[in-house]
Amino acid sequence: MSLAGSPQPAGQAGGFHRVTFTGKASEYFGIWIVNVLLTILTIGIYSAWAKVRRNRYFFGNTVLLGRSFEYHARGVQILIGRLIVLGAFVVLNIIAAVLPILVLLPTLAVLIALPWLVAKGLRFSARVTSYRNVRFDFVGGAGGAFKAFILGGLLAVITLGILTPLASRWVSRYIGSNLRYGGKAFDTDPKLGAIYKSWFLSFLIAVVGLGIVALLVVANLSLILPMIETPGSLTPEQQIPVFISIAVGYVVLFSTLGIAGLFYRAGVRNIAWSATTFDAKHQLMSDLSRTRYTWIAISNVIVTLLTFGLMRPWAAVRMARYTWEHTGITFNGDVGELFSTLEAQGSAVGAEFMDFEGFDFGF
Amino acid sequence: MASENAIAADGAIASGDWHPAGSSRSIEARLVERAGEIAALPVAGEKPLAGAGLSWIEISARVGSIPRRVTFPDGSVFETWDNDGVDRYLAARGKGGAGLVHWLEQFRLRLIVIVLAAFVLGGIVYRWGVPALVEVAILTTPPIVPELMSQGTLQALDKTTFSPTKLPDDKRKEIADGFARIAAQSPRGTGAYTLNFRDGGFIGPNAFALPDGTLVVTDQLVEMAGKDTEMIVGVLAHEIGHVELEHSLRQLYRAAGMTGLIMLIAGDVGSSVEDVLVQGGGLLALSYSRDAESAADRRSVELMAKAGYDPTAIARFFTLLEEKLGDKSDTSLLSTHPGTPQRKKEITDYARIISGQSDPDLQ
Repeated sequence: MSLAGSPQPAGQAGGFHRVTFTGKASEYFGIWIVNVLLTILTIGIYSAWAKVRRNRYFFGNTVLLGRSFEYHARGVQILIGRLIVLGAFVVLNIIAAVLPILVLLPTLAVLIALPWLVAKGLRFSARVTSYRNVRFDFVGGAGGAFKAFILGGLLAVITLGILTPLASRWVSRYIGSNLRYGGKAFDTDPKLGAIYKSWFLSFLIAVVGLGIVALLVVANLSLILPMIETPGSLTPEQQIPVFISIAVGYVVLFSTLGIAGLFYRAGVRNIAWSATTFDAKHQLMSDLSRTRYTWIAISNVIVTLLTFGLMRPWAAVRMARYTWEHTGITFNGDVGELFSTLEAQGSAVGAEFMDFEGFDFGF
Repeated sequence: MASENAIAADGAIASGDWHPAGSSRSIEARLVERAGEIAALPVAGEKPLAGAGLSWIEISARVGSIPRRVTFPDGSVFETWDNDGVDRYLAARGKGGAGLVHWLEQFRLRLIVIVLAAFVLGGIVYRWGVPALVEVAILTTPPIVPELMSQGTLQALDKTTFSPTKLPDDKRKEIADGFARIAAQSPRGTGAYTLNFRDGGFIGPNAFALPDGTLVVTDQLVEMAGKDTEMIVGVLAHEIGHVELEHSLRQLYRAAGMTGLIMLIAGDVGSSVEDVLVQGGGLLALSYSRDAESAADRRSVELMAKAGYDPTAIARFFTLLEEKLGDKSDTSLLSTHPGTPQRKKEITDYARIISGQSDPDLQ
C-alpha cells in the first residue's frame, strides 16, 4: 500500500496540519450498492450493518497526520437501538390512532424523549469513534440538548429565522464543549456577531426568493382574485398561466431557501470549528468556501437524481473530500509528545456496548 | 494453495503501528507469525510487543482500503494499511481472506450484476412487496382496531364540529329506508353499516364513511339535494364502497410501507434526495386516493343497479356540485379526487357496461 509505513507523529513538529480524505468514488460505489442490495434482500435488517460499513469507510479514509479515524459500532447494537425506537414509535401511533383524543401523545412523547435521545445518540457516536486507538466521549446531558435543539429550533421558527444564529451558537457550544478525547476537553465559543454576519447573506438570498414569489402573485392577481371570489369562473385556458406561475414559484421558493440554508450551514461550520480548541491550546480550523460548498451540495443532488441514484457514491465522496480537506488543526507544541500521553479514560472504554444508539445525530 | 497466497518465509504478514491498550502512544511495528502464534514485533527487534494464537485475536473486516485493526487479548492493537498482506495471510490460513462482502463490493465488471439485481429487487418490492404487505396487514388487523378508530373519530368530531341533526323525522326515515335497500346488496349485509345524521357545522355538505361501517351524512348535504333522495342514496352507496374496499386502512398501511421503504435506503441516498423521494411519494399517494374514489364510484353504480335504483344517481350529485360550487376542474397531479366532469363520464360509461350495453368506447 502506498500509505504503508505512514509518517510517525513521534518527533513531528507541531503547527498547522490539514485533514485529508482518501476515499474513492469507485471503491465506495461497490460498498454502497452491496449495502443497498443486501438491505433489500434482508427486508431492512442489514441496514444496521450497512451503516457500519459506510461509516467505517468514511471514518477510515479521514486522515490526520497519516493516521485515520475509526468507527467501532457493531451492527447488532445499531439494530437493537433502532428496534427500540421503532417499537416505541409504532405503539405511540397505534394509541393515537385508536384514541384520537390522544392524537398529540406521540408529538408530546417525542418532545420529551427527543433531547434525551439526542444526548444518547451523540454520546454513542462519540464513543464508537476513535483516533490513534483512543476513543472520543461526549458528556452533554438531556437538558443541554433540550436548550440547543428544541428551544433553539422553536425560537428560530417563531422568529422566522431571525434568532437562528442564537440557536446555532447553542448547538455548537453544546456539541463542541461536551466533546472529550483521551480525558481532555474540547471547547467552543463562537461569537454571535460572526454568525449574524454570515447569516445576513442567507437572509438576503431568502428575501430575494420571497420577492420573486411575491412578484409572481402580483403579476397574476387579476386572475387569482376572481378564482377566490367565484371559483370555477375561469376557463381552463385562463388557468394555465396561473398553474405555471404556481409551479415556478414553488421551484424558486425551495431552491432559494435551499441555497440560503447551504450558505448558512457552511458559514456556521467555519465559525464553529475555528472557534474550537482542544485541551485549551490546540486550535481547530475550517475554511470552506460557502459558494463552492453550496455548488457541490446542489450539483450532487441533481446528478444523483439524473442517474437514478447511481452517482450517489461519487456525490458522497466528493462532499466528504471537500469538507475534510478544508478542515485542520494547529498543534501547539510537539505532536509526538501529545500523543504519547493520551490515554483512554474510564467510562469511554467499552461502555458503548451498554449504550444504545438513540437518535443518531452524527457529528 | 496458490503461490500468491503463500506466507513469506520469515512469517512476515504486514507492517504498521502498535498501540498499548487504550493508549495513543504508538510504536512502529511488524506483524509476524511465529510457531503458530501471531505477534507484533518492533521494527528493529525480536522481543514481541504482544502475541496470541489466531483464534484469540480479532482482525477487523475489510472495508475498501481503510486500515485494518488486529486486536490482541491484552487489549493492545496493531494497525496497518497493508490490507493485501493481512488478506493473503487469512486466505493461507483458510479464513477466507477479505470475506464475501468485500469480494462483492470490488469495482469489477460483475458489479453490474449487483446493480441490476438491486434495481430489479427494488422495483419488485415497490410494485408487489409493499402492496402484498398492505394486504397481509389488512387481513391480520383485528376488527377491533377499525372499530376503536372509528368510534374515537366520531366522538372527536361530535365534540369539536358536529351538532345533532335538525332534519325532520320523515326525511331521515326516507333516506334510512333507501340506505337499507342498498346496504342489503352489500356482501357484509345491512348489520355492518350504521347511518348517522349530523349538522356538519363548518364542514358543510359532506358524507363520509369510517372504516368500521359507520356512515355520516350532514344536514347540509341533504338540504343541497332537495327532493332527490335517490341521489343521496347514491352518495351513500359510494361510501359503502369505501368501507367494502377498506380504503382507509389500505391508505394508512401504504403510506407507512412507502415511508419505511424510503427510510431503509435513506442512509445511503443522502438527506436531500430523501426529501425529493418523500415529496414524490406524496404525489403517488394522491394518485392512489384518486383510484380509490373511482373504485367507490363504480361500486355505487353496481349497488344502485342491484337495488333497482338509477345506477347513475351519483352523477347527478356531481352535476349539482358543478352548479353550486363551480367545481369544473380537471384532474390534476395535485388533487385527491378525480376532476368532476371526468368522474361523471366514467360513471355513465360504467352504468352502461353493467346494464348489458356494449362499451361506449367501442361503438
